[in-house]
This record gives sequence, C-alpha cells and structure tokens, in this order.
Amino acid sequence: MLIRRIRLVLLVITLVVLQTAVFPHLRVFGAIPDLCLVATVAMAYEEGPQRGALFGFASGLVVDLFLASPAGLSALANACTGYAVGVFQGGMVRESRALPVVLGGIGGLIGGTIFVIVGGISGQAGYLSLTNVRIVIVASIYDAAVAPLVFPFVRWANHDPDYGYNRRR
Amino acid sequence: MVVYQRETRRRPVLLVVVIASLVLVTLDSRGNSVIATVRDLAREAIQPVQSGVDSAFDPVRDAAQGITGYGSLKDENARLKKEIADLRGQRLRERAVGSDVGELEKLLDLPTIEDATGVAARVVSGAPGNFERTVIVNKGTSNGVEVGQPVVAGNGLIGKITDATGTQATVTLIDSPGFGVGVRLENSNERGIAEGRTGERDMRLNFLSNPRVDIKKGELVFTSAVENAAFPPDIPVAKVKSTEKPRGDLEPTVVLHPLANLTDITYVKVLRWPEPKGG
Repeated sequence: MLIRRIRLVLLVITLVVLQTAVFPHLRVFGAIPDLCLVATVAMAYEEGPQRGALFGFASGLVVDLFLASPAGLSALANACTGYAVGVFQGGMVRESRALPVVLGGIGGLIGGTIFVIVGGISGQAGYLSLTNVRIVIVASIYDAAVAPLVFPFVRWANHDPDYGYNRRR
Repeated sequence: MVVYQRETRRRPVLLVVVIASLVLVTLDSRGNSVIATVRDLAREAIQPVQSGVDSAFDPVRDAAQGITGYGSLKDENARLKKEIADLRGQRLRERAVGSDVGELEKLLDLPTIEDATGVAARVVSGAPGNFERTVIVNKGTSNGVEVGQPVVAGNGLIGKITDATGTQATVTLIDSPGFGVGVRLENSNERGIAEGRTGERDMRLNFLSNPRVDIKKGELVFTSAVENAAFPPDIPVAKVKSTEKPRGDLEPTVVLHPLANLTDITYVKVLRWPEPKGG
C-alpha cells in the first residue's frame, strides 16, 4: 500500500514537472494537454468513480499551485471528470487499444468544459468565450494523443506489489 | 489477483471534493495568504527540477520549433533579436520624446522610462495552462523583482509581474483579458485605456478622453504620464491596427496590435517602478 502511494505521488510530481517545464514549449494551435487530467481518467478507468474523483482532486490541487487561476479550479474539474469517467467505464468494452485515446479525449472535453465554466462564473476574465471552446477542443484532442503514453504509467503506479491490480471489472 | 471492491459512498465523496474545491476557489479568489504561501513554496520546491528538465528538453523543444541548428546559433539569434528589439524600442521612444507631451514632461521634470532601472531576465517557460496569457522569467524576489512591476522587451511593454517567488516570477501579458494599460495617442495625446480581449492577440482602445479625435492607422500608443501610474510614461505599447465608428456608438472601435511579439519572447527587462526612494 505504501509503495503504491509513493508511486502515485511520484507519478503526479513527474506529470506536473512535464506539464510546467516541457509542454508549454510544445503548444499545438495554442493548446497543451492536461497530463494530470489524463492520469485521472486512467485512474478512473482502473479504479472506478470514487478513487477517480479523489485522485483527480489531489492531482488537480497540485496543478493548481502552478497556474494563475484560483486554487481548486483544476481540482474541481479533475474530480468531476474522474467521477464521470469512473461511472461510465463500468459499461465499456475493456480490451480495445483505442480506449485510452477515446477516454482521454472525452475526459479532456469534460474537464476543460468544467474548468472554463466554473472559472468564468468565479470571475476569471475571458474564460467564457468562443475562443476557449476552440482551445478546449484542441486540448482534448491533444489529451487523446498523449493518453496511450500516460495510461501505462498510471497502471504501473497503481499496481500494488502485495495485492496486484485493484481493478474493477 | 483481481479484487472487487463495492463502492458504497460514491456521491458523498464527490460532494466533499466539490465543496472543498469551491471553498478553495473562493478563498484563493479573495487572496488567502495561506494558499499564496503554499503556492510559493511549491513553486520554489519544484524550480530546480523544472530548470533541470527545462535544460534537458531544450533540444526537443528546438526540434519541435523546427530549428535545426542550435547552440551558438541559437544564442546568437537570441542576442540579435534583443539588439533589434532594443533599437526599435529606442527609435519608437524617440518618436515619443519628440512629441509635444514628451517635451512638456521633460520640462516639468516628470519621471520617464529612462529614469527606471531594471532587472534583465530570461523567459524560461510559457503558461502551464491553456487559459492564461503568462510567461515565467528566471528572476525573482531575491533579484529585486516584485509583484506589480512593469516588464518590457526592448521594443515595447509586454506586461507586469503578477506573482514572484525567490527565484522566478510570473509575467501576465498585456493581451490577457482584463489587463488594462493607461495610454496616450502619439499624434493627439488623447488618453485612453488599452485593454486585452478574450481570445484575441490584439487589444482595444477604450475610454478615450475625446471620442471624436482623429486616429490614424499605424499611429503608436504609449504609456501615459499619470501620477502614481502603474507604468512609467512613454513606453511604446501598441500601434493602431484599425479604427471605425459604428453608427450610434459613442466611441470609435480602435483595434491595437501590441508592438512586442508576445508569442516569441526570450529576454525581458523588469522595471523597478516606482523607483525606490533614494535609490
């Protein structure tokens, strides 16, 4: 259990470093992927809605520390996304290579939409705009593209050497 | 081994994290000092790792940007860009000083950009999110950088410091939605507010002191000299891209294009403004 938690913490730190140091230089049409959001989707896929929401909240909170937007905004978006994907994953066909791509894209859309809507309502200038709709769509495609790379790392970090995979089926 | 765990408390967990998130959003929006401290500590802690990764991924970034030759060529390119930007800025400032207002300000011994000393800094990263217009520079409070200080990039104003830790600072760019700069027009000296627009790289000139003023395309706008202004006077900000007066509107619609290339900034200067007393 302890090893699993350490791995998950390392996973979040690694993703945040990549998010803040590398991906700002790899923008595509003005958008970058949200790696912790994709990791949340992967966690929700592995573990279901409850742990998906908790992981999304924790990882989003860490990401929030490095953004100019209010703390809690990414945490909220990621937690809701984790919960939603966790609920939907119960009825999905598992063994498909395209699944991480599809889930990553859907998760990106849900998370991005919640982020801009709640950000706009909380008074962040310019969040509720057509341009941000375009950015959310481009970012979700980017999320879908990086999802096959992120999913295996989440699966590795979530693997408990003592108990095996605690995966819902 | 597959372990099935029945989740019996789905909704309470979601409810708790949603409420916790909203409380955090509210507290941070009101400027909670604890959150600000935690944020600064986290940024300080990750900064060395960030710098290492940043350096390690330099080649990857160069490849992504389509640059085939790097190293000395890149440094030379950055230096030449800075020189060109400095010369452009100098030429544009001369236009400002040459105007009547500039002359009067000098006669009245009002402070100008030349009076402001600054800290040279390098842009190390862009915004880590999709919905903010910021850059991160490699100088922080230990170098004298403080929140609120204006930032220029040779040929014009690019923004101001909105967050600073010991070793790095965040610059919010002038084209960010909600960002406003008090400016004056080059020819008429009429004053207004240049504001960033959502989803646009161009700005708008609003709240003109004289809405009937004749504004020419290509005319420059400079920071205006106002007492206790957030920016030193006479810094070139933008040039007029287009202007039109829709029928029935009280003010003309004036579109401004920032002079500095805000998508490709390498070196900046953080101005100590207002200049510390006695220093």
